[in-house]
Amino acid sequence: MRLLRVPPWAWIGGGLIALLAFPIVQRGQYYQHLMVMTMMAAVLASSWNILGGYTGYTSLGHAAFFGLGGYLVALAHNQFGWHPFISTWFLGLVVMGVALILGWIALRTHGSAFVVVTIAMVFIFRIVALNLGEITNGARGLTQPRPGWGGVQWSPEIMKIPFHYIMLALLCLTVLVSWRIRLSKFGLGLVAIREDEGKAEAVGIDALVYKVLAFGISAYFVAVAGGIYSYFFTYIDPQFIFNIFTSVTMVLIAILGGRGTLWGPVLGAFIMEPLGDWLVGTFGGTQIHLAVFGAILLGVMLFMPQGILPSLSDWLKRLTRSRGAGRLGPEPGAGQDASSAAKT
Amino acid sequence: MLQVENISKSFGGIRAVDGCSMTVERGSITGLIGPNGSGKTTLFNLITGFYPPDLGQIRFDDRPIHGLLPSRICHRGIGRTFQMTRLFWKMTVLENMIVPVRQVGWKTLFSRGVKTHEEERALELLETVGLVGYRNEEARRLSFGQQKLLEFAAVLMADPELILLDEPAGGVNPVMIEKTMSFVEELNRRGKTFLVVEHNMRLVMDLCQYVVVLDHGQKIGEGEPAQVQNDPIVLEAYLGSANHAGA
Repeated sequence: MRLLRVPPWAWIGGGLIALLAFPIVQRGQYYQHLMVMTMMAAVLASSWNILGGYTGYTSLGHAAFFGLGGYLVALAHNQFGWHPFISTWFLGLVVMGVALILGWIALRTHGSAFVVVTIAMVFIFRIVALNLGEITNGARGLTQPRPGWGGVQWSPEIMKIPFHYIMLALLCLTVLVSWRIRLSKFGLGLVAIREDEGKAEAVGIDALVYKVLAFGISAYFVAVAGGIYSYFFTYIDPQFIFNIFTSVTMVLIAILGGRGTLWGPVLGAFIMEPLGDWLVGTFGGTQIHLAVFGAILLGVMLFMPQGILPSLSDWLKRLTRSRGAGRLGPEPGAGQDASSAAKT
Repeated sequence: MLQVENISKSFGGIRAVDGCSMTVERGSITGLIGPNGSGKTTLFNLITGFYPPDLGQIRFDDRPIHGLLPSRICHRGIGRTFQMTRLFWKMTVLENMIVPVRQVGWKTLFSRGVKTHEEERALELLETVGLVGYRNEEARRLSFGQQKLLEFAAVLMADPELILLDEPAGGVNPVMIEKTMSFVEELNRRGKTFLVVEHNMRLVMDLCQYVVVLDHGQKIGEGEPAQVQNDPIVLEAYLGSANHAGA
C-alpha cells in the first residue's frame, strides 16, 4: 500500500517530467511517433469524456470535429500560409462554434437516438468534404508542405519532437480544463444531469445549456488535436479523417480507463495505443488487433464495469480500510462511477 | 400566490386533469387529496412544467408559468419533491444539497463546485433533518425515509417560496413522519407556502389549513379540513376509501 502514500501531485509531476524528457532520452523515431499518437489519443478521450463521461451522453460524432479541425488547419495553411501550430488553437474555436450549433440541435435527443444523430454528423461532414471538391480537393485529399518553421523544414530526425511538445501542451490543457470543470458548479451540474436529468431540471439546472456547453468544450480539444494531426501526417482525405473508428476509439479508451473520471481516459490511452500498435506490428495488417480490443473490452466490462481506474481505486480502498455502516442493499443503477467531486 | 385556472391534460384518451382550478394562498399549507388516479401527481407535473397543459393557465405571483421549462419554474420560486423520491444517487448527500443552489451568470458556473458558505448552509439544514453525519455518503446508501428527508432538504437549498410535496409520508415510519410534519410547520411559520399531496388523512387534517379534493381529474370539493371532512360529495368519493386505508 506504499503506492497510496505517494501524493497525487507527485504522480502528476513525475509523469510530466517523464513526458518532457521522453524525446530527449528516446531517440527512436518509432517510439517518438507512438508517443505523439498516444498523447493524441489521451487528448481525444479526455475531451470526449467532458461530455460522454461527466454528462453521460455517448457521442460517436466527435470524429466530425476532429476532421473539421484537420481540414480547417490544412486549408488555412495552404491558402493563407497560417502555421498549424498557431492556427489550430483558434480554428478549434471555429469548430467549437459549429459544435455548439450542432449540439443545440442534437442534444434534444437522448440515449440511443443521440448516438445515432451523432453518427450521422460524421457521415454528413464526410460527404460534404468529398463533394466540396473546389475547396477540399474531394476524395484526393489535401497535402500540406513538410513540417517546419520560418521557411526551414525540420529534418526527419527531429521532425517528431515539436509535435511531441505541442501535443503534450494540448494534453496538459485538456486535463486541466477537464479538472477545472469537474470541480466547478458546471461539472456538478453535468454529473447531476447524468444521474437524473429530469430531477436536475426540477432543481433548476438548465440542462440544455449545460449539455450544449459541454458538447462545445469537448469538441474544442478534439478539433485542435485534429489540426495538429493533419500537419503531422501532412496529408488528409475525407475517408481517413472523418472516420467513425476515430470516434469509437475515443469511447473505448474512456470506458476502458474509467468513464467520468479525470485520469481514466489518459490511463486508457496509454494502455490502448501502445497495445494496438504492438498488435499491428506483430500480426501485421490483419484485423486481429480489433478482435483483441473487443476481447479486452469485454473482459473489462465483465470484471471492471466502471473501468480500470475506478475499479482499482475501489479495490485499494477496500484493502486499506473496511467501510463503515450504511444501507448496503442492492445498488440502484450500478454502472459508471459518479464519485464525489473531490475525486481526481 | 398560485392560481391554477381551468387546466386540462389528457394522455391518449384519458383525461388525467380535466378543467381543474385551484388557488394556493401565500403563507398557507394547502392539502391536495383524492383517490388514487385522481390526477394529483399530474397536477404537480403541470405546475412544475414537466408537462405542458393542453388547456388552461397557471399563474405564480400573477405571472403565467405554464409552458416554461421546469428549471425556469424552479427559478421563479417553486420547489418540489417526487412521489418516488428522486435523488442523484451516486453523488454524496452534500453534493445533492449543493446542486439546487441557484447559479446566476457565467462566472459562478466555473467557480468552485462547493463553496464554503453554501456548505455551511447545507450542513445546517442537514443538521435539522438529522443527516449531517451522512454528508459524505452516497445518497443511495441512505434509508428510504432518510432519502425523502434529503430530497426535501435539498429542495430548500434553492430557497423556493412555494414547496410542492408529493406524499412526504408515503412509506415512511411514524417517527420520520413526525419529523417531517414539524419541519413543514416550522418552515411555514417562517413564511414558506406548501402544497402537499398526501394519503395519510390524519396528517393532512392536522397539517393543512386548507384542502382541495380531486376526483377523476376534477375538483370536487375544497375548504378547511373540518369542512371537507363533512362534505357529503367528498365523503362519497373519497373518505370511504381513506377510512379503508386506515386513517
